Order: sequence, then C-alpha cells, then structure tokens
Amino acid sequence: MDSLPVVAINGLRFAYGDIVAIDGISTDVPTGRIGLVGANGAGKTTLLKILLGVLPAAAGSVEVLGMNVATRQLDVRSKVGWMPEGDCLPPDQTAADFLIYAAELGGLPTRAARQRASDVLGLVGLHEERFRYMGEFSTGMKQRAKLAQAIVHDPALVLLDEPTAGLDPEGREEMLDLIVRLEGFGINAIISSHVLTDIERTCDWVVMLDGGHVLRSGPMTDLSTPGELEMEVVGDPGPVVEALRRLGGVVESGGAAVYLKLEGGDPFMLARDALAETGVAVRRLGARRTTLEDVFMGEAP
Amino acid sequence: MAEGVVFDLGYRPHEGPRLGRSGARWALYRDGLRRVLGLRRRMRRKVFPLVLMAVAVMPALFFVGISVVLREFDAAATFFGHAQYFELTGIMALVFVALAAGELLIPDRVNGTLAVYASRPLTTIDYLLMRTASLATVVIGFLWLPHLVLFLGRAWVSGFGSYVADNWPTLWKTLLASGVYFLAYAPLALLIAATSKRGALAAVLFLGVMLISGGATAALVDSGFKSFGLLALNQHPGYVKDWILGSHAHDWIPQQAGFEPIVSLVVILTLGALCGLLVIARQKKAA
Repeated sequence: MDSLPVVAINGLRFAYGDIVAIDGISTDVPTGRIGLVGANGAGKTTLLKILLGVLPAAAGSVEVLGMNVATRQLDVRSKVGWMPEGDCLPPDQTAADFLIYAAELGGLPTRAARQRASDVLGLVGLHEERFRYMGEFSTGMKQRAKLAQAIVHDPALVLLDEPTAGLDPEGREEMLDLIVRLEGFGINAIISSHVLTDIERTCDWVVMLDGGHVLRSGPMTDLSTPGELEMEVVGDPGPVVEALRRLGGVVESGGAAVYLKLEGGDPFMLARDALAETGVAVRRLGARRTTLEDVFMGEAP
Repeated sequence: MAEGVVFDLGYRPHEGPRLGRSGARWALYRDGLRRVLGLRRRMRRKVFPLVLMAVAVMPALFFVGISVVLREFDAAATFFGHAQYFELTGIMALVFVALAAGELLIPDRVNGTLAVYASRPLTTIDYLLMRTASLATVVIGFLWLPHLVLFLGRAWVSGFGSYVADNWPTLWKTLLASGVYFLAYAPLALLIAATSKRGALAAVLFLGVMLISGGATAALVDSGFKSFGLLALNQHPGYVKDWILGSHAHDWIPQQAGFEPIVSLVVILTLGALCGLLVIARQKKAA
C-alpha cells in the first residue's frame, strides 16, 4: 500500500444489543475501488454506517480519509458520499431539484450545486429525465439517481451499498461501468455487495467479511494462483491425467476439465509434454482462475 | 461559414469553496420553506397553503381597501381589531400547522431520504432545528402579515408618521402573539408527525387532540373540575394573545378556571419543551 489508506480500522467492535455485528476487526484499505463482500448479515452495511459515523463504534478506532470518525464526523461526511441500499429518493421532486438540494446539503454553494447537478445527471445518463418526478422512475433510473446524489458534492470517497440490487442485466452492466469510471474522476469507492462477480468486475482490492470478522483483505491480484493451470480436453482425460502425475504434477480432474499444480516448475511446460506424449487434443488451456467465490467458500468457517 | 466545435469537458471536480455545516443547514431551511409552501412540488401541493394564506390576508386587504376609498379607518368602522383578527387566523394556523408538520417530517422518513441527510455534514438536531425554523417562518409570517397590512393601511389613512409613532408597539405585540400561537401548536404537531407514517392521519390526530381537549375541558371546568382548564390546549394561545394585546373580548377556558395568562404561557412552554425532547429522541431513533 503506497499511499495513505482511505480507511484505517483498528480493533473495531459493534453490537446490536447482544448480537455482535463487527467483532474486533482491523484492516487498512488503499485508494481505488474497494470491494466489501460477505453473505447477508456479515456486517457490511453496519461497517459502512460506522464509516459514515451514523453508528458509533463500541470499541476501536476508524479513520476515513485520514480523519477520525468519532471526533470529526461532520468533516468526514463533507468528503464522503453514500448510496444506501434502500430507497432514498423523494418521489415528488424532480431529479434536477433533488440533485441541486443534495449538492447544497453537501456544502456546495447554490451556483456550484446547480452546475454539479447538471454535470452529474449527464454523467449517470439521466440528463434527458432531469425534469421528471423521481416517483415515475424505473428501478434502473432510481439506482442511477441514487449514485448521482452520492457523488454530486464531489466527495473523495463514496460508499455504495448493493449498487446493482434489483437491476436487470443491462442496467447492472451500466451501473458497473459507472462504478469503474469513478476512479478516473478522483473518487474512491467502497462497494458493498454479496454478488461476487460484481466485485471481481469492478474492484482492485477486496475485504471479505463473515460473521463480523475479516476473512481476507488484500488486492484482487493476490487471488491469482501462480503455478496452476486448467485445461479442457477432447475425449477421455484419463491418459493425460496419468501422464501428468507420472511427470510430477498434482492433478485434479472433473469431467473434461483437468487442473494441474506444479511446485517449483512451469505447469505449462509439463502440460505440453503430457499432451505431446498422449496425443490428447485440448479444447482450452490457461492459468487457473480463482474466483472470489472459491476463496470465500474456502476460507469461510 | 462558422465552424462548430464540440468540447468534451469530461468530469469537472468542484474546486470552489465548501460551506460545510452552515451551508447544509441553510439548504435544509430553504427546502423546508419550499415544502411548507408546496413550491417546486406538484400543483396539488401548492393549492392548500396558498389558498389558506390568501384567505387569511384577504379580509385585511378588503378593510384597507374600503378605508382607503372612504378615507376613514377608525376602530369603530373596522370589523376586526388585531385581537379579533387572531380568532380567524388562529384557527387557520391550526389547520396549516397540522398539515405542514407532516409534510416536513414524514416524507423524509417514509421515503428513506433520512439516509441522504445522514451522509451530509448535519446532525439530527440541525435537521430538526432547521425544519422547525422553516415552519416558524411561514406560520408566524402567515399570522403576522394581515396585521402588518392592517397597520400600514391605518397608517396610510391616518397620516403615516404620527400613526406609526403612536402605534408602533402594535407591530411587536402582534408579532409576539403570532409566535405564541406557533409555540402552542407546532411542537405537538411535530411530535405526532414524527411518529406517523401518513401526513393526513397525523393532521387529523393533531386536530382531534387540540379540538377535543378544548371541548372536553370546557365541560369539566363547567362541572367544577377547575384544574382541567390547563388541558384546554387550543385555548392557551388565545388567552396569552389577549394578555399581550390587552384585549378582554373573549372568555377563555383557562380564564374561567381561574388561571392567570402567565400560567397558560408556562403550559405552552412546558408542553413545547417536552414535545421537543420527544421529537429529538424519536428522530434519533429513526435516523
């Protein structure tokens, strides 16, 4: 982690009565797009609310953008945006009016707020709809309006809680594209989701939560598995599996898929030799791709 | 031929000043004014507040108009004095507050917009103070504007300078009385709005409590239970208003029960403080 962390958490605890939601977690997350993943009830939304200062930490400390949330709550909120999971849009206001208001609430002067509202509505693809009452919006348009209100005051960090919830595949793709573009605007993002493929698609750092604990916090690149490959063969994989094992590889197979692991060597060279020896045709060959789901299922207790 | 050039400005970060908490509070206050008056909302939201305001001011404008035409404006020729005018506008203010309090607090909670406020440099107290301030501005303005019209009309007919010099205390007294009406009505209306999900229901409940308290306590005071006179919630502001304006035209229930106007003022302030604390507790829980 080269630069100052966007969020620094140390020994954080939080409980709803007797139910412990966050159990003594410590982690630093860098600038960029951060994925916060975990099953329902893992503590994702609770953690986001603590980062905003909406919920007070029972123990430990939280710094956001270098500011202690407990002592500089309002300063933090001036520089952070929040897209909540649930509804937050007044149905009897137009998108333009609400965005201007949301920008002013973020501390922008009226003239700047009007300019920003117009810019951001264009950015999220709602410029044509800006004078429509938001009660008439589709789910996809509402999600985009929610993202717009979260970034309209030009925050340094935006917290997105389940940003693709309720969206159809096309809307989901558009939302993910928007999230990817945020970094180019100088806006860091923490994206909470239980849809692991969304996090894989958008984030460059991931924090995995389970039962109020951090399972893993690190860059997405750490999820790659050097020294392993996967291939799909045509026909019976038996001969090639046998050859790979004889040549010193650790092999798993299922159907036509063969997974090869080689300690201290190049698995591709080994695969080449085994395929040449057996004459088995290969349909697909590449580095083994470890998904967040593999990691999550492997590490969750 | 002139050539058009398209510039893609891309994302432009905000590089100007940030007003922080004070800017957020000012935005909240202005939003409250717009909500109470139905501005920048659908037409049906504008109709009621504007009609009510027009009805409140119209008699004053009518009397001023007649007086200007007749070049005469003395108390005998005026159907309404300042104290009597509050009898009309006080009832209208009661209905106005009932609806406006719900409009200020309920949609934010029901629509989830409190989540947006939670991500801005504002506290729950800021939110409630600014909402209350916007309601106070409109209600006190609504109650006081007709008196200002009457005062200026009388001044115009009676020779401006001398009339103003002799009668200027009327202005602050009517303003003070308007504030008393606000303090008597708004805290309870806001408390009911803070615990309701539907504005119409909250308004009916508030009006029911206010009007039934008047009717029921009148019967109890007549039956000899004098201390119940303190529970005539809709009667206290009128009694205090008459005290401020030096009027004795009305026989208020707390007066019949033997209480001094200062007691009514204490009841208004105590109830206001109690409701205020409960609204804060409720709003913190909702946020």
